[in-house]
Amino acid sequence: MKDLVRLRTSLKEEIEIILNAQCKMEAEASNKYLAMASWLERNGYKQSSDYLYGQAEEERTHFLKIFKYINDVGGTAITPVIGEVTQEYSDLKSVFETALQSEIAVSLSINKIVAKCREVSDFATEEFIMWFVKEQREEEENARRALELFEVIDVNSSAGKFLLDKEIAKIGGKE
Amino acid sequence: MTELYKTSKGTTFQCDVTDRICLQFGDISASFKIKDFFIFRRTVKTINIHEMIFNLSDDYDFEWIESPKSGIAQKLTLCEIVQLRDLLDGTKFSLELNSVLHETLGTLVIR
Repeated sequence: MKDLVRLRTSLKEEIEIILNAQCKMEAEASNKYLAMASWLERNGYKQSSDYLYGQAEEERTHFLKIFKYINDVGGTAITPVIGEVTQEYSDLKSVFETALQSEIAVSLSINKIVAKCREVSDFATEEFIMWFVKEQREEEENARRALELFEVIDVNSSAGKFLLDKEIAKIGGKE
Repeated sequence: MTELYKTSKGTTFQCDVTDRICLQFGDISASFKIKDFFIFRRTVKTINIHEMIFNLSDDYDFEWIESPKSGIAQKLTLCEIVQLRDLLDGTKFSLELNSVLHETLGTLVIR
């Protein structure tokens, strides 16, 4: 009797499920950044909004990368249903606090995938997901840098807000 | 054709010539590519059984089950859905057990 399951895919069901869950998480992260960028733009923070528009694009790229991988290895990528995301923020700092929390949640989720891959000996997926481990290290670093700027620039002055907007836009090499 | 799983309501088989899974369940007679079989199982598994039990509206007495590639478009009752789930879960177990045996013992041993 042929092993039809293995002929179809190298992906074990539990890995397929967590990768699809990760797709949903990345797509949600993209939407969160989009809402944050929109809030910043509406409130006059033009340059940092451009930075977060870029982050939204990047998260969507991450989502598609996993989505395509699932199909490439014979699994079934499921288009995620994304719920409502926060549209309003109290101030500039709360936007970037939320961004850091979101990145930490994504990093934890990626770590769980690596652990699961090792548990079921799915070394191909582990190798694939290691790219995200490195990427998340950078994403967290960028999100922390944004919050660090609030420590060195006085957000309560008009000049401070202007300067913060400008400096946040430079994070990650972006001008 | 190798029988994969059998219940009082239906049977599934694996055809090694066409690499397809054949399903006999009530009026439903269909064959699936392995990938489509798992998608079909997921469709059946995602039906909200609790809503069907507790919602008194007539709309919740039946649920449409569709698998366009296999030509399935059937209205099933709550009991039929539970029975179909049982058959599909058992089939999945057999398929995965076979896969584990292949992985453990090697393809030359399994006939």
